[in-house]
Amino acid sequence: MNKICIVEDDEPMRTELCALLKNAGYETEELTDFSRSLDFLRATDADLILLDINLPQMNGEMLLRELRRNSSTPVIMLTSRTSEMDEALSLSSGADDYITKPYHPTILLLHISAVLKRTSRVQVRTTYRNIEINVAKGCLSTGTQEQILTKNEMIIFQLLLDRQGEIVTRDALMTALWDNDEFVNDNALSVNVSRLRTKLAAIGCPDAIETRKKMGYILL
Amino acid sequence: MSVKAYARERVGIWVIYGALSLVMGIFLVAFRIQGELIFFLLMMMWAVVIGTEIWELCRKKQFYDGMLRSLAELDNKYLIQELLEQPDFLEGQILCDVLHETNKSMYEHVAGYRQQNREFQEFIELWVHEIKLPVASLSLMMHNHRSEFGSKALEQLRRIDSYTDTVLYFARAEHAEKDYLIKPVSLKRIVSNAALRNREDLLLHGVRLETEQLDVQVLTDGKWLEFILGQFIANSLRYTSGKEDPFIRITAKDLSDRTVLHFYDNGIGIPADDLPHIFTKSFTGHNGRVFARSTGMGLYIVRNLCNRLGHDISVQSEEGKYTELSITFRKNDFYTR
Repeated sequence: MNKICIVEDDEPMRTELCALLKNAGYETEELTDFSRSLDFLRATDADLILLDINLPQMNGEMLLRELRRNSSTPVIMLTSRTSEMDEALSLSSGADDYITKPYHPTILLLHISAVLKRTSRVQVRTTYRNIEINVAKGCLSTGTQEQILTKNEMIIFQLLLDRQGEIVTRDALMTALWDNDEFVNDNALSVNVSRLRTKLAAIGCPDAIETRKKMGYILL
Repeated sequence: MSVKAYARERVGIWVIYGALSLVMGIFLVAFRIQGELIFFLLMMMWAVVIGTEIWELCRKKQFYDGMLRSLAELDNKYLIQELLEQPDFLEGQILCDVLHETNKSMYEHVAGYRQQNREFQEFIELWVHEIKLPVASLSLMMHNHRSEFGSKALEQLRRIDSYTDTVLYFARAEHAEKDYLIKPVSLKRIVSNAALRNREDLLLHGVRLETEQLDVQVLTDGKWLEFILGQFIANSLRYTSGKEDPFIRITAKDLSDRTVLHFYDNGIGIPADDLPHIFTKSFTGHNGRVFARSTGMGLYIVRNLCNRLGHDISVQSEEGKYTELSITFRKNDFYTR
């Protein structure tokens, strides 16, 4: 389980961020004593740091610059500023990504998982049960059988696989699809999931995807 | 200053001179002065009078004509005082002093307003950034406790957010000194960002989104372009309601010297009479009156932003059929250098 450290001075915001990340299956750690924020960040073993720019004592950019001297923990900057200049500035001071408030919760989660993947703290899985996944070719194979997945089905399958055993909301699936320029609607999502089910069944995994009413899907 | 106008003004004094020379002539005749002498005296007096008049006329004409000429050439008329040469006659000097004083006081006045305006703008920007914090907290709260709030509350929150964005970009667009960064950005990325942000609204209205050939890099400020697309989407959603199979199609055409982004929707369109005015401030037009909820600011801000970024924006529409907004990005290394 990945651990995410939240550095945000606004208390309600911090609480909600924590709740959001816990729901999404991350472990969280909060920084509350801002007089010693740098020491705290240096000491943490988190896999990712969410860093606000406007902080008491030492602002986020300074903090990041100091931190980067001897740490390469991935950092996503959070801020309410919305100019390209700030983005350029924080990226140049060593942030891995940048999100502006008010961030869309699922977009935030998407960015987090993208950064974690990029910095390879998460291993990209290439197998599920006895099925081998070839993303480049867009197909699933068991050695004897092969099933071609469409782009949409592959996106859905990968997201479910990343969080195998947890519920993935329709919202999260939708966000991932839209992020990949597949602007599908609710019906299309249902159709895609049921096609994926059929294909998985055909390759020897019936009942791999379960529907949880009003919550989402889960890959067993 | 025409000679005629000057003469008309001086005519009273010349009448007095005339009367004076008549009276003098009568007196001199009464004192039995020689005829030649009288003529000579009068001639001398008139020579002096005409000489001074011509001299006066010349130097005044030179000064005022020069002033009028500079005034006509000036774009900012209030700068006239800077161009005046100190005249050598009293009225001109008084005029210059008065101009100097009024200018100075006007500068102070304007500086006061400018200061006020800047403070107001800074406050607005700060305020927008501050309001984003509770909006962000709220949206997280709603996400975490979805069952209690429902999607309607979320939609309202998104409206608050998009309105505050409008304020921010308005404040920015009106003031050139505000920062923006022009660099190559991928149209595809910007379009999907804008789509992601407006996903719920698009789905709620049942509007299909199609994109084609967006694998193009353009020179622009990503955040601003995203905002512009957000405005387009909001407009389309407002005016596609009730249509059968509503859709938005975003395409790009990459030409040798420019890239054109087309934003097409099959909404209610814009009446031909309104078309030339849709980028005008506070213009709501026929659609705005019928469908309400239109402030007439969105497209005005969009056009301002486009101007600032050096993009051209144009619109084509047929009432009841479609609306197509196009943004032209020039390929000019002037920006990147």
